[in-house]
Amino acid sequence: MKSVGFSAAAAAVMLALAACGPSPIDPRRQIGADPYLPPIHQYLLPPMHIVKIVGWNGAMPAVAPGLKVQAFAAGLANPRSLYTFPNGDVLVVETGGPPGSSSRPKDLIMNWVEAKTHSSTKPGQRILLFRDTSGSGVPDVKTVFLDHLTSPFGVVLVGNDLYVANTDAVIRYPYATGDTRIIAAGVKLCDLPGGPIDHHWTKSLTASPDGSKLYAGVGSNSNITENGIEAEVGRAAIWEIDRATGAHREYATGLRNPNGLQFEPQTHVLWAVVNERDELGPDMVPDYLTSVRDGAFYGWPYSFYGQHLDPRVQPQRPDLVARAIAPDYALSSHVAPLGLVFYTGTNLPAHYRGGAFVGEHGSWNRSVLNGYKVVYVPFANGRPSGLAEDVVTDFLVDGDKARGRPVGLAIDGAGALLIADDAGNSVWRVSAASP
Amino acid sequence: MLSDNPRSTASLGGRPIHAMLVPVPIVCFVGTLITDIVYWRTALMFWADLSAWLLLVGLIVSLFAALAGLIDFCGDRRIRALPSAWIHGLGNATALILSILNACIHTRDAYTSVVPTGLILSALVVVILLMTTWSGWTLVYRHGVGVRPGDRR
Repeated sequence: MKSVGFSAAAAAVMLALAACGPSPIDPRRQIGADPYLPPIHQYLLPPMHIVKIVGWNGAMPAVAPGLKVQAFAAGLANPRSLYTFPNGDVLVVETGGPPGSSSRPKDLIMNWVEAKTHSSTKPGQRILLFRDTSGSGVPDVKTVFLDHLTSPFGVVLVGNDLYVANTDAVIRYPYATGDTRIIAAGVKLCDLPGGPIDHHWTKSLTASPDGSKLYAGVGSNSNITENGIEAEVGRAAIWEIDRATGAHREYATGLRNPNGLQFEPQTHVLWAVVNERDELGPDMVPDYLTSVRDGAFYGWPYSFYGQHLDPRVQPQRPDLVARAIAPDYALSSHVAPLGLVFYTGTNLPAHYRGGAFVGEHGSWNRSVLNGYKVVYVPFANGRPSGLAEDVVTDFLVDGDKARGRPVGLAIDGAGALLIADDAGNSVWRVSAASP
Repeated sequence: MLSDNPRSTASLGGRPIHAMLVPVPIVCFVGTLITDIVYWRTALMFWADLSAWLLLVGLIVSLFAALAGLIDFCGDRRIRALPSAWIHGLGNATALILSILNACIHTRDAYTSVVPTGLILSALVVVILLMTTWSGWTLVYRHGVGVRPGDRR
């Protein structure tokens, strides 16, 4: 029994061991159509790299040559997504998720980590409207457009119908050009999978080019089915919702946490950015940008990048895995892409026209942080045509502290890129350096 | 009359604290094996979650039980002279270390939080506990460790 000291020492050694694991590789090896996939590594303890949120304190993000950055809005309460009306008014969605559930001891710790890596400001549950009447690029009118929402995220306007994707339903509101607030009560178009467990709660939303259908991203209810497969009904999927009837079907499945739904402007094909699974190593599994094919299955939870099986899922489904397809373009691992916008404006240098900007919220489980920036993926003929390049950076300071974290993106009325920064409680505006 | 039995130093009203606490981790760790087996057979996450909670409670109480046991071991030279006491202590320490490792494995998500490593560790711990419980009974019922016949009149 003299071994209590010994067991304490052994526990300490084990904790040290758990922190080990494979060394992270250069993320550039995992960008593009054919990412390097290292062997999977299962940890002894969940990998966590807590990033302290320090705020901007007057600092600004850095931008690529030829660009400049301004603060579009500051002092917000967890802004996560953006939408630009045809008249140039910009909606900023202030939002936060429902409280995390705790079905086992690990959840208590994970919820704490999650809280640590987000802003301490209590998230709003509302949408703000910003208007620039002076043409300076920086808005001079701010109104509360819609309040008392339920973890809203996606917004899309079709004609005079404004749709807001709360975490549990798509709601329709009447909108007329120039409105600065909506007083009318919304009408529910369609329920979405919400609580009681609501792990990936951000419901991205877009409309088909002809306006007849809506597409909603519904993230999985777990990392890898640890809340039970029954909690995943209707999830890890993109829903197609009929705008007239509210009827829905699963347009594509096996997409762990799809966000940033956008139609590619040239080919009118639906694209999304997807957060892949955690706890298989610092470089597994790469998050990705992909076109979304009708009826396609992208693997989650059973497999990834085609037929690479995930040993944590039982019972397996060989029938589904057999038809799992690989996504188009890897963004490297744990970058947490949450925002996507195709650039159709003319303000930015010609280099940026036709491609896609991706907002990478950043990793929380990789010893060398990845993401925490906005990248540009060039496109040609509706397909990615080169390596992603950094456009907006310096969200990290001293390697392990974050001033902010980019989330949703939009193009404003003048053609500048807007970036919602939830941890920094700001919206940034990136435009051409010289007009 | 005062007994000549080896004394329990960590005691409460003459009753050894170690003996009061050990049933909790024993039940928890045996329970973990049972719930791990049920998870293995059903793949229903409820059972794996239950294993994780049983491990946590078992570990917390076993740390106090180990401390009380260590105090008893150090508190009386006659206990340290018994081979069964060494088997009991070292065996339980091993079970404790393996259970900490097992709790770590159980923090994984879904199937591999149990199968195969977690399940093997749970079974190994129960086998060790069978041996250490036997040696514990030897200490008490053969050598009278911590037993005070009391003031029978």
